[in-house]
Amino acid sequence: MLLKLNNIFKWVQSGGQRVFLLKDINLSIEEGEFISIMGPSGSGKSTLLNVIGMLDDFDEGEYNFLDESVHNLKEKHRANLYKQYIGFVFQAYHLLDELTVKENLEMPLLYSKKSSSERKSLVADMLDRFNIVGKKDLFPSQLSGGQQQLVGIARALISSPKLILADEPTGNLNSKQGEEIMELFKQLNDEGVTIIQVTHSKKNAAYGSRVINLLDGRRI
Amino acid sequence: MFRNHLKIAWRSLIKNRIFTGANVFGLTVAFAVAILLSMAAFFELSYDQFHKKKDAIYQVYSSDQTSRGTEIITANSVPFAPALKNEVPGIKNISRALSENVLITFQDKELNFDAEFVDSEYFAIFSFTTIQGNSKNPIPDKNTIAITEKASKVLFGSMDPIGKTVTMLLNKKEQPFTIASVLKNIPTQSTIDFDVVIPFENHPTYLDNIEDWDAKNHPVYIELDKSITPLQFEKSTFDFTNLHFKNNIENLIRDGAKADENGQFRQVHLTLFKDISFTSFSNNLVKVDKTFPYLVLGIAFLILFIASANFINMSIATSSKRLKEIGMRKTLGAIKGQLFVQFWLESVFVFMISASFGILLSYFLLEPFQTLFRTKVSFADIINPMVLVGFFIGVFGITFIAGGYPALLLSKLGTLQALKGKLGVAGKNGVRNTLIIIQFAIAIILISCTLVLQGQLQYMRNKDLGFNKEQVISIPLNGKRDSYRMVELLRNELQNNPNILNVTGADNNLGRGKDGSMSTSKLGFDYKEHGVTTNMLVVDYEYAKTLELELVAGRTFSKEYKADNLSLVINETMARELNESNPLNARIVLDDSITYSVIGVVKDYNFQGLNKRIEPLTLFMDKEWSLYYAYVKIAPKAIVQSYDAIKEAWKRIEPNAEFQGSFLDENLDRTFAREKTMTTIITCGSIIGIVLSCIGLLAISLLMVSQRTKEIGIRKVVGASVSSITVLLTKDFLKLVGIAFVIATPISWYMMNEWLQEYAFHVSLSIWFFIGAGFLTCLLALITIGGRTIKAASVNPVKSLRTE
Repeated sequence: MLLKLNNIFKWVQSGGQRVFLLKDINLSIEEGEFISIMGPSGSGKSTLLNVIGMLDDFDEGEYNFLDESVHNLKEKHRANLYKQYIGFVFQAYHLLDELTVKENLEMPLLYSKKSSSERKSLVADMLDRFNIVGKKDLFPSQLSGGQQQLVGIARALISSPKLILADEPTGNLNSKQGEEIMELFKQLNDEGVTIIQVTHSKKNAAYGSRVINLLDGRRI
Repeated sequence: MFRNHLKIAWRSLIKNRIFTGANVFGLTVAFAVAILLSMAAFFELSYDQFHKKKDAIYQVYSSDQTSRGTEIITANSVPFAPALKNEVPGIKNISRALSENVLITFQDKELNFDAEFVDSEYFAIFSFTTIQGNSKNPIPDKNTIAITEKASKVLFGSMDPIGKTVTMLLNKKEQPFTIASVLKNIPTQSTIDFDVVIPFENHPTYLDNIEDWDAKNHPVYIELDKSITPLQFEKSTFDFTNLHFKNNIENLIRDGAKADENGQFRQVHLTLFKDISFTSFSNNLVKVDKTFPYLVLGIAFLILFIASANFINMSIATSSKRLKEIGMRKTLGAIKGQLFVQFWLESVFVFMISASFGILLSYFLLEPFQTLFRTKVSFADIINPMVLVGFFIGVFGITFIAGGYPALLLSKLGTLQALKGKLGVAGKNGVRNTLIIIQFAIAIILISCTLVLQGQLQYMRNKDLGFNKEQVISIPLNGKRDSYRMVELLRNELQNNPNILNVTGADNNLGRGKDGSMSTSKLGFDYKEHGVTTNMLVVDYEYAKTLELELVAGRTFSKEYKADNLSLVINETMARELNESNPLNARIVLDDSITYSVIGVVKDYNFQGLNKRIEPLTLFMDKEWSLYYAYVKIAPKAIVQSYDAIKEAWKRIEPNAEFQGSFLDENLDRTFAREKTMTTIITCGSIIGIVLSCIGLLAISLLMVSQRTKEIGIRKVVGASVSSITVLLTKDFLKLVGIAFVIATPISWYMMNEWLQEYAFHVSLSIWFFIGAGFLTCLLALITIGGRTIKAASVNPVKSLRTE
């Protein structure tokens, strides 16, 4: 088992009342799954993804990731955990504008303290694998949306995570680019990477092995 | 990792060119100014610190309790010092020190030197090093002198000075002296400055005054024994004082004086010599006042603060552009510490660049700075390991705070919050506004101080001092000739020149002449059972006429009256002091037997600085006493030609002596040196302060406007006019300036009021100085943000909404 959520609650205080963002979520995910989280706007999809990615806290419940109790970890350990095992892909790509493609790819490696030669070879592998060697010295603003997302995925993959969390990865792309990205995810999943994606589109959800539906913070 | 940080830092600095530029510019200027100002301040503070025994050296002064209050006397009589050492325990070394100009002749050279008449223990007290000759006692006997390297070079060139004989004009007699030692040049940071040291016994007045406890003409310095504190020493002098000044004390009691807290009417006091350049004895108060150097340091600090506040504000304001980066880095595993270090390094980068530019700039500005601020400070005087370490700690400290605060703020942000691009810290504007308020409060304080200082300076320059300062030239009589003869010759030489109106002489200057000396002579005597103290001035005929002194009663000295050497002309204050219904009836007996009579009263005029009230003054005309200055009054036209004519006449009469004539208004201006320097420093400080504050304000307003583009667009769509939007955008900032004004005004009012109290004559502290400063600041702030705001307000809303 890769991760397990037990009775997860998350709320915000609003006008003296608790507004629940996540309500009693139970979920366990095995390695190698490709899961799509679906639901209308405001149903808590992104919140759930962020909780799984340890970017967000929750108020109640237990979260175990690879036998570590995430709810008991300090920030530093949590950061160590997710930078080792989790890669993130965003709808808005979130590439750093000041860095070139190559440097963007290199950045996660800097935080995992890899040596310079190791970083170089990993970046070169990744550029090769995604066929973007020719674009390695370009800045994000010089790339198309699809290409930027490609770099985003490459960046997520560079530290060989077990899990990739993708928040509407095709949301800003046209349908052709979107399809290519989804194909890429499928391929990665076939290679053994666990993927959790948030999506609005039935078509994209169909790439996954399992769909989790949310409404008002609850699983339905 | 480090390289990556540098790379990111560099690129984001380049991207925010305008802000980086504004920051680097502001910080560079601030660093340069701070370096120069603190150099000047530390230079001032380093005065007299080179004496090895500085903590044990004291200057001796006395206080008298008179019926008018306490009077401070720094001058001492000839027998005072030897008696003090013999009779009061605790003195390790003691020396009298009388500074005077002497004329030294060697072969065909005839030169004026600053001489110090001292006792042999002088060199045990002060650390003036000998480079040639006797180092223990550089003046081993009565006919030997010591000279500085510099003087030696002037007098002997490359010859070996040791053993050479020179002649000196003392007591109108040429006397031979042997050079016994050569001293290292006096350090720049020394209050005591001289070319020649002469044994005290050679002073012209020495023999006359050897038993005279009343004629006081020199300061006394002592080195106190380690076993005794200055306070204990002062207490142990009571018997000594009561014995030797018995008569004076009885007179004081008779005149109704009240004893001081120790039950004494006269007391010997000590004041630390190492603080002597900050010690003032004026207005009968001994005050060690280091405000000036600390004020300068304070201004340096304030300017650094303004620039650093700009940096903090701009860093926080521009950080919204970096939120995505922060979020992303956190998602990729960066922890708080790493982000802090990254952002902080960026600041360090900016600060290092600015500090380096600042050093460079201060290096180039040093020369104009020296002239402008009348300081002799140079890098060589200041640079030592301590200062360098201090400088780096200073820069590091500023970087740590100014760079660390925004870095901390950014690194604390939550990951998701950052990714969503929200700067949700509520207190952010609070910090920003506080900083802006402080900046402008500083600027307003500096500006209002500038206005008050300029006002006071203008007041001192323009005040009617009671004599003609524009048309009168005073010339130091530094030649060999008898002074009366010299004035006479000058008068004869110039009498045919229609532009020369009068020539006269006196034994004191008005203001500070080119010879740089200032002195006071005082006389105390008993008049009708009460003690009177007056300033003395020996004058030649036509003194009052030359200076256009206004005669209130009687007449002035005149050649028609033969006995005028026993006549006195007094000023109004002196007349009040004599307390006669008709001061012209006053007969004053001096030296037990000689009776002088008052023949005239002149209107009070400011013969001393404007920081002093007008004191009693008595004019003598006795040819027994020398004159030291000639005064020439010229016609208001052809001033330059007249000056040259006087110079030529001087050259003909006294070809060997340098002509040092100068107009009295120049002389007076020289006495304002301190005020002028202070005004320059504060004026520059306020200009730099306000410019830097406005740069900061401009940057912040640019960001505000760009962040509110959408709001502006929406407001316009629903019908707001350009002017209402401009008001909306400017209002917030002007409010801050307003608060700054409210905070700043009482502070600067208090400071300026304190400062003006030092002047017996000063401008009145009107509210307009402060309103003027506030108005000026508001206006500048308005100009700074106005243009940009109006432009933003006039943009077509369709455009501003589309860009969202």
